[in-house]
Amino acid sequence: MPYHLFKCSECIPERKEHAVIKGPGETLADALPLGYLNTIPGTISERGCAYCGAKHVIGTPMKDVIHLSHGPVGCTYDTLQTKRYISDNDNFQIKYTFATDMKEKHIVFGAEKMLKQNIVEAFKAFPHIKAMTIYQTCASALIGDDINAIAAEVMEEMPGVDIFVCNSPGFGGPSQSGGHHKINIAWINQKVGTFEPEIKSDYVINYVGEYNIQGDQVVMDDYFKRMGIQVLSTFTGNGSYNDLRGMHRAHLNVLECARSAEYICNELRKRYGTPRLDIDGFGFGPLGASLRKVALFFGIEDRAKKIIEEETARWKPELDWYAARLKGKKVCLWPGGSKLWHWAHVIHDEMQVDVVSVYTKFGHQGDMEKGISRCEEGALAIDDPNELEGLEAMDMLEPDIIFTGKRPGEVAKKIRVPYLNAHAYHNGPWKGFEGWVRFARDIYNAVYSPIHELSKLDISKDEIPTDKGFVTRRMLSDANLPEEVRDSTEMRPYSGNFDCLAGYEDREYPYMKTQPAPGAAA
Amino acid sequence: MEELRKERIEQLVDYIMKKCLWQFHSRAWDRRDQNENILLKTKQILCDEKVALETPADRCYWVDAVLLAEAYREKYAWLEGLPKEEVADIMKGVHERMDYLTIDGSLNQELTDQHY
Ligand code: SF4
Repeated sequence: MPYHLFKCSECIPERKEHAVIKGPGETLADALPLGYLNTIPGTISERGCAYCGAKHVIGTPMKDVIHLSHGPVGCTYDTLQTKRYISDNDNFQIKYTFATDMKEKHIVFGAEKMLKQNIVEAFKAFPHIKAMTIYQTCASALIGDDINAIAAEVMEEMPGVDIFVCNSPGFGGPSQSGGHHKINIAWINQKVGTFEPEIKSDYVINYVGEYNIQGDQVVMDDYFKRMGIQVLSTFTGNGSYNDLRGMHRAHLNVLECARSAEYICNELRKRYGTPRLDIDGFGFGPLGASLRKVALFFGIEDRAKKIIEEETARWKPELDWYAARLKGKKVCLWPGGSKLWHWAHVIHDEMQVDVVSVYTKFGHQGDMEKGISRCEEGALAIDDPNELEGLEAMDMLEPDIIFTGKRPGEVAKKIRVPYLNAHAYHNGPWKGFEGWVRFARDIYNAVYSPIHELSKLDISKDEIPTDKGFVTRRMLSDANLPEEVRDSTEMRPYSGNFDCLAGYEDREYPYMKTQPAPGAAA
Repeated sequence: MEELRKERIEQLVDYIMKKCLWQFHSRAWDRRDQNENILLKTKQILCDEKVALETPADRCYWVDAVLLAEAYREKYAWLEGLPKEEVADIMKGVHERMDYLTIDGSLNQELTDQHY
């Protein structure tokens, strides 16, 4: 597995150890990109800061909480319109964002007084919200404001409110990943074990590392409830503050994004003896296996099998319709941390696309081990790429599409490569059986977009065809398909609703009401 | 014979590396634990031996082992009819190879970090 030095990075030779091409017959013991290191001076990284990793990724998806940044207002930019971790309480946590708005005078004279005033004002403005998280930023960390002390003072003066403090300033780690770590540990140290949750089933899990992007958590919660499993808390998408304080009461921690949330699972295992089970919620095969694993743990596997059977019968013909049309399309799988391994094998197996490159902005070497193991030979794996390397890689690999974040996505668009937002999705949810078809549909729509085809023409030099009229995606995608595939009556395109989550809240869950089957474990 | 054994071990190892996640916990001691327990239980299932399910941790290892053993039986027809001792021997080889790839030969510098 040769290390790869991009031409554009020849002046930063250290970058060579951050990129590897997966060679035939080679293993992880031959080469592995470095990871989770400080960005090398001279390379403009696409990473976020440790405050961002703590607040915008993990803290803010908690729904019934005032999320307050103690710092300049700019730090808290990410909210409605940029984040899509929705919640079932009218999205309180993304509609409202709070910052103490530190200014120069606070840096000189201290900002504790102003912080206290902000906390009280925020609670008064939203009297139905009783919990708050406060996030340290670079500015408040550097001047040494004691946020914990102020929080303790307010909790004493305002009985009934509870405050969590996360000391993870922007500089507290090489990337957002440092912040994931800090908030995991801060939460278990400060809050887990301080609330007794209501136990409604013999089978109780925490669903960890799931952020309810466009409703992913709602879909998974539905599967668990259909099996009679209580999701005591979700860390943290659509999660409630008090439920998360009661995490110690679950029988099992089901871990989805190990990159951002393995720490709390490991600590829960150590401190409370709750085992950790890693799962893959994406793709028919991995999702089915994951549901079975959780059910097996509790001795109710038949319930999982029934769901898998029903959902596969309903959605597989639609997944296959897209797979037939996406076969051989080249993908650069360039997400933040965990999706490179959640998706690398299963988009190849189930959607027939070829993953020509994986990268991670803030992943650790463990994420690369998983991602490289799962992608096909020849793929280029890059750690913490800079923009020029991204451009060079696209030039070299000529992908049909990339899955990445907004910033690199917009760069790709400029060179006429369509992108899907791997963090916030396009028409999600993408988890679950139906969600996986929606993902395939988004890929299809991007790859075969007629507008995108037009954008490849340069009006300053290309000849613009005037003899071609209107085209549709279908005309583009079906042009070279064998007849039996094109006219197949077995397969069909997505037939679900625009809002596929409508009606979930009215569903009945018989297993959640009746006594669970005998022979339950744990 | 040795060639065949090696080839079979590689097939089983490849499957784990591509489809499973449990072998990649973030610390060396944790990986050793996972490899040992899950692969032991997989061997026990494949050899029709009794599997200990006393603790929640046991059950957790076991569920991954159940799915792995099932996939092995489904994908690798050569497993069927193989004498139990040979299955056990191949699984021993799988365990050694997994320990090498994920721990002893691993280039992951975080494996020996004292903290999570
Ligand atoms: S690096 Fe510091 S100042 Fe910048 S957004 Fe992060 S916390 Fe705020």
